[in-house]
Amino acid sequence: MAGLAAPGDASLNKPPKVEEKANYMDLPCPIPYEEIQREALMSLKPETFEGLRFDFSKGLNQKFSLSHSVFMGPTEIPSQSPETIKIPTAHYEFGANYIDPKLMLIGRVMTDGRLNARVKCDLTDDLSLKANAQLTNEPHMSHGMINFDYKGKDYRTQFQFGNGALFGASYIQSVTPHLSLGGEVFWAGQHRKSGLGYAARYETDKMVATGQVASTGMVALSYVQKISEKVSLATDFMYNYLSRDVTASVGYDYILRQCRLRGKIDSNGCTAAFLEERLNMGLNFILSAEIDHKKKDYKFGFGLTVG
Amino acid sequence: MAGKKGSSGVLARVTRTVSDSPIVSHTKRTASDAAFVTKKLLKSTGKAAWIAGTTFLILVVPLIIEMDREQQFTELELQQQSLLGAPPVVAGQK
Repeated sequence: MAGLAAPGDASLNKPPKVEEKANYMDLPCPIPYEEIQREALMSLKPETFEGLRFDFSKGLNQKFSLSHSVFMGPTEIPSQSPETIKIPTAHYEFGANYIDPKLMLIGRVMTDGRLNARVKCDLTDDLSLKANAQLTNEPHMSHGMINFDYKGKDYRTQFQFGNGALFGASYIQSVTPHLSLGGEVFWAGQHRKSGLGYAARYETDKMVATGQVASTGMVALSYVQKISEKVSLATDFMYNYLSRDVTASVGYDYILRQCRLRGKIDSNGCTAAFLEERLNMGLNFILSAEIDHKKKDYKFGFGLTVG
Repeated sequence: MAGKKGSSGVLARVTRTVSDSPIVSHTKRTASDAAFVTKKLLKSTGKAAWIAGTTFLILVVPLIIEMDREQQFTELELQQQSLLGAPPVVAGQK
């Protein structure tokens, strides 16, 4: 952006000049508070699954598309016993998407009666509205949430309203061209809980380091090293002060011409890998593997994505 | 008869002294301890090898296969380029 400036003042905001002496009136806009760790999550939290999945999406015109997806496989049911209990399930999901630069509507219906709806709408250039609703036929399991995001020149704010008297606000500000600091506060009226959180993010072309502390006792640190355009290595460290559990993990993310491969290993003895292979234009083959050595829980899945 | 009894008595006495001697009992205990430790060690080594092997199979083997495929693609592309006759580009890339 600075390179495109008029030649007269180009010498003032040339990138090397900024490197030497940061222009604190012209800082870049930080990334949203909730996405502060997105690079690390990309390689450390692949969406592994167990069983078969088939996703098909077809665009009816430029803005409107329909999606169908089938999933078959064992699903874990939550239980108190240390051994995991799995029951075989199969479901079909139908979705409709409307995507426009200013308005995005996404709806999903599952055969077990769950409905998921998302709206993202740009009210003005700087203010956008996000709404998310999940309805189920089980009582007290439906959720709804509305977010207002305001994007300033070098800061972002977000206000959150959810059901169960949930209120939240977050603010993130660029402090130097590389460093941004933020904070959040939330209050959940139904559970009588409130909390505060702080976050910092340091970003250069080659690496991203983030740190996050919350009054729930969570301390999360992450570091991503971009070795090249295609390869990045990530590591993170999570510590919960109240429950005293510590987790550290290391992962990689490798983007090749025909595929994308992600893998991670963590200190709980859990190894996961996720491979997306592009077989043809619009045809992707997915392989997912997760091994939990401690719990002896092995999850393998494969899938196809069409369209 | 009496001589045989005496000799067996001697033999029994010798055996008893040997088997009761502290050296023998010590050796026995050490041997059983060593066997126990070896067994444990083998077992845990096997377990560690299993974990390392399965982890390797999941994390590294796909990576090697995909990198190999990528290499083949690049080579094929280079070959095609040289066949089509664009030596300056190839030279520039090299």
